[in-house]
Amino acid sequence: MQLDLKKGSRARTLAILTLVIMAIFIVRLFYLQIIRHDYYVAQANNEQLKQLIIPAKRGEIYAMDDGTPVPLVLNQAVYTAFADPKIVDEPQKMIDLIHRVAGGNARPNLDRLLGLKDSRYQILATKVTRQQAEMMKKENLRGLGFQEESQRVYPEGKLAAQILGFVNNEGKGQYGLEDAINARLTGKDGLLQSVTDISNVPLTIGNKNINIPPQNGENVVMTLDRNVQAYTEKALADGLKKSGATNGSVLLMDPQTGKVLSMANFPTYNPSEYNKVQNADAFNKETISAPYEPGSDIKTITMTTGVDKGAVGPESTYNNTDYITVDDATITNATKGQTGNITFQHALNYSLNTGFVTVAERLGDGKSITLAARNTMYEYFYNKLHLGQLTGIELANEQAGTIIPPSDPQGNAVRYSNMAFGQGLDVTMLQV
Amino acid sequence: MSYARSTQFNRRSSGSWGRNQNTTRFASPVKLGPVTHTVLVALMITVLGLIYLTQAPRATSYDYEAQKIDSKIADLNNQKTDLQVENARLTALENVQNSSVARNMTQPSQTDYVGE
Repeated sequence: MQLDLKKGSRARTLAILTLVIMAIFIVRLFYLQIIRHDYYVAQANNEQLKQLIIPAKRGEIYAMDDGTPVPLVLNQAVYTAFADPKIVDEPQKMIDLIHRVAGGNARPNLDRLLGLKDSRYQILATKVTRQQAEMMKKENLRGLGFQEESQRVYPEGKLAAQILGFVNNEGKGQYGLEDAINARLTGKDGLLQSVTDISNVPLTIGNKNINIPPQNGENVVMTLDRNVQAYTEKALADGLKKSGATNGSVLLMDPQTGKVLSMANFPTYNPSEYNKVQNADAFNKETISAPYEPGSDIKTITMTTGVDKGAVGPESTYNNTDYITVDDATITNATKGQTGNITFQHALNYSLNTGFVTVAERLGDGKSITLAARNTMYEYFYNKLHLGQLTGIELANEQAGTIIPPSDPQGNAVRYSNMAFGQGLDVTMLQV
Repeated sequence: MSYARSTQFNRRSSGSWGRNQNTTRFASPVKLGPVTHTVLVALMITVLGLIYLTQAPRATSYDYEAQKIDSKIADLNNQKTDLQVENARLTALENVQNSSVARNMTQPSQTDYVGE
């Protein structure tokens, strides 16, 4: 086929015109797509490409109940109801709806908030449940929106509150288990990068889409027994009421395994209302964070040391005069009258301080608490039984306590004579 | 009897081709001018463009479907979580202790222990 375009003909004019228009297009497209490529790509990405964080689910916390895990901490979706006052056209209807459905979760002065027409975002109610949000959505009010978030819920209420701790507004664990293993419970947020439409719906078009799924936090099962914990807390509360004491702690462990079966402290708090707590002491667990002088409990450890080293036996005897002198200090018994030649078993039964100072002396030369005796006691107390050291329990704010070594000037014979019956050292209930 | 042929068969001159491999050329009596050609090409480009344009919304319509399904899954997960929480609350010790069943329980008048 031969195109025969005669000079001046309409066909030729049309062809030239088409070519000119195409040339203009090509030049313009070259300018836009090649020369200004980076600029427009950046602008398009800015408009269309959105990065959405996919929040990881925080791990749940369980206790045991007769061999079955039962939840103490779960997650629940709650909603924040907000409005765009600029486009709200039925403010009174919206106020009535919020009050009727959200009740106590509604913010005060809703009419004032909705009157702020220059604002595009006003929170009307917080912690709205899914059902409440659904009821409000059904009304289809213009300018009303909902933002989903996750909150911790405590089906057992205050039970084991101090062990659990709580999660603050920034989503970080505070106190207790929530704080100690926060990283494990938190997991890792995912990322969705995608071209979106005007309603932020992700679209599969584009080649810069990224979808990194979140890594949910670990669920944790504690050794705590729900029934034992509940009973312990009740017994502690009753005991404190009976004695008139203001605070107290109880710790129950399986002696075979060291598993903590219950850990109760008073006063306590409600973890779902942690922000109402006036005194932060309520968050602490004295069982692990308040070292104290354990007193006569330590006598069993001193006796153990003596027996294990062969310095004394249960039937070994000493002369009890109800007092004993160590350097310039005189130590007396709280229980008096058990004087004479008595066995160490007898001293243990009556919790006689003199008996255990004598054990400490017999760890040395038998007459005084020598450096060798103090070193032996330190070896057993600190190195073997780990008194004065962190146990590594997965709870926040554990304190180590103090066992003064013989190498310290404070670690003299008087100190160690006191340590023999549980004074002059600081340990936690958990260590004991 | 004579007849006129409208189709011409030309034998391929090359001897290297095998037998029965004739080619035909259809000579159409319709002649297309340059304007028609231009218009046809423009039409073809337009049709191709339209086909492309119809594909893009079709792809994004799947995104909306996927979004709806994702939203439904999230909603069902939330419902499941709500039920788990409700279940945990109903079986919580405090609720069990305060339940009407527990309140109506009475102390046994006599307890006999079975020996081994």
